[in-house]
Amino acid sequence: MTAIIEVEGLTKRFGKVTAVDDVSFSLDEGGIHGLLGRNGAGKTTVMQLLTGQDFATRGALRVFGESPVENAHVLSRVCFIKESQAYPDGFKAKHVLKSAPWFFHNWDQSFAERLVADFGAPLDRPMKKLSRGQRSAIGVIVGLASRAELTFFDEPYAGLDAVARHRFYDHLLADYAEHPRTIVLSTHLIDEAANLLQRVLVIDDGKLVIDADADELRASATTLAGKASDVNAFAAGRDVLDRSQLGGLATVTVAGLTHSDRAAAASAGLEASAVSLQELIVRRTGGAPAPQEDVA
Amino acid sequence: MTATIELPGAATAPAPTRRAWNVVRMHVSNPFPTLVVPWLITAVIFGLTLAIELMVVRAAGGVDNLEPDAFQYNGGITWIAVFMLVTAVQAMNLTFRFALGFSVTRRDFYLGSSVYFVLLALFYSTGITVMAGVEQATDGWGIGAAFFAPWGLVSQPLPVIWAACLMALLLFFFLGVAASTLWVRWKAYGLYAFFVAAAVLVVGVAWGITATNSWGALGDYLVSHSLLVIAAWSLPVTLACAGIGYLFLRRATPRA
Repeated sequence: MTAIIEVEGLTKRFGKVTAVDDVSFSLDEGGIHGLLGRNGAGKTTVMQLLTGQDFATRGALRVFGESPVENAHVLSRVCFIKESQAYPDGFKAKHVLKSAPWFFHNWDQSFAERLVADFGAPLDRPMKKLSRGQRSAIGVIVGLASRAELTFFDEPYAGLDAVARHRFYDHLLADYAEHPRTIVLSTHLIDEAANLLQRVLVIDDGKLVIDADADELRASATTLAGKASDVNAFAAGRDVLDRSQLGGLATVTVAGLTHSDRAAAASAGLEASAVSLQELIVRRTGGAPAPQEDVA
Repeated sequence: MTATIELPGAATAPAPTRRAWNVVRMHVSNPFPTLVVPWLITAVIFGLTLAIELMVVRAAGGVDNLEPDAFQYNGGITWIAVFMLVTAVQAMNLTFRFALGFSVTRRDFYLGSSVYFVLLALFYSTGITVMAGVEQATDGWGIGAAFFAPWGLVSQPLPVIWAACLMALLLFFFLGVAASTLWVRWKAYGLYAFFVAAAVLVVGVAWGITATNSWGALGDYLVSHSLLVIAAWSLPVTLACAGIGYLFLRRATPRA
């Protein structure tokens, strides 16, 4: 497998604000990956840097092995869909879809038409008169039908309802299966998208705090429930991420359980369940006071 | 899951000329606002102007009772130049952000947009010249009026009208480009700087001419040279604006 994105010590400052702070990672070709984090964490800036829309203050980045800045050979293989996308004055959705094939050479017109019908996107209304959800739908349609080798979706479904979002996930998965490519999805609806993601990058306050395989990440912590005394006895001396107690019952989320740990927990009468990706990330990005946080 | 990845023609981008041409097509993917609307508005202005002039003729009891150049100092057509300036501003602002969202490089965008502006300038100056030809052939729509070639252009040959018109439109396009790229790059502060610099330049030149006692020489130059030569002085300004525009846009980022 070859790296499609390589980032080393990437830093972007806007005046005194450091939006991206010494971030390093690489992504292999193929797969659907998540770039997650809170609002203002720096996700959009990272994607703008990766697509040559913004200029790095420091550090190196390569997309398809080259700098993306002003590089038509790299950019013509990339599609970046973002919520804040501007449209020319007087543009209707039909003009957006008419222009798209001139710039995305894998564009699939019939797929685009199916998506338009499926999302009920209004083609003959000016873009600036569309609702947030309708504009998002147009973005999603362009992002999917462009079939770019590397596609970024930055909060692609702002304003879309749950039904439309699930349609997006379904289309994404189905089309990805037929036309494998690399997709980077930024979202804060983590649990909704969790099942799609192979690799998870979490940015907090400009820093990369998690860079892990989604399954490994999920397996990195376990929630145990049972009688308070049993739970506390088991948790003693372990890396506890979260703890709650209600009467005589308690739950605790502990990091890094081995197989024998699990067996011990089971024999102690504790019920183990997987932690959701969202919970884990919320805890690691300051959602709740977590004691002894040990994060790279 | 299918195992093979077939991406036709994915390895390289289209040729540079094709990429720039695609930007031109992007600009006219909705042709109505820039290719049709200006003619409609011009037709309305022209119609109203003609109606007023006919009203004056009627009140005066015939064309013969009016000065021969009574209807020749009309500025109605100059609105096109302002329209071109606005078109350039919109293109460099909104369309720039849209184009980068469609994975276009700044260089390709600027090249394609410049071609688009030149084509638009050709389109409008040719159209205006055709109408000026009709105007001349009908002896000013029968009442000695000058709308499409007013002021100093009234008695000029059509190629001169065409060239003067083209140069004026190009100047306004690239003035708009220079101002709007400043806006895209530095927002309001860029524009303040632009207008302050422009004002300082104008006053400075006026000072220079006054200090060297050259107003008379300038007047002589203007009357002793053809309109075409004088209009050609806009070309260095246009080119400078085009260069400035690229310089600014090269490092601009599409931020909301």
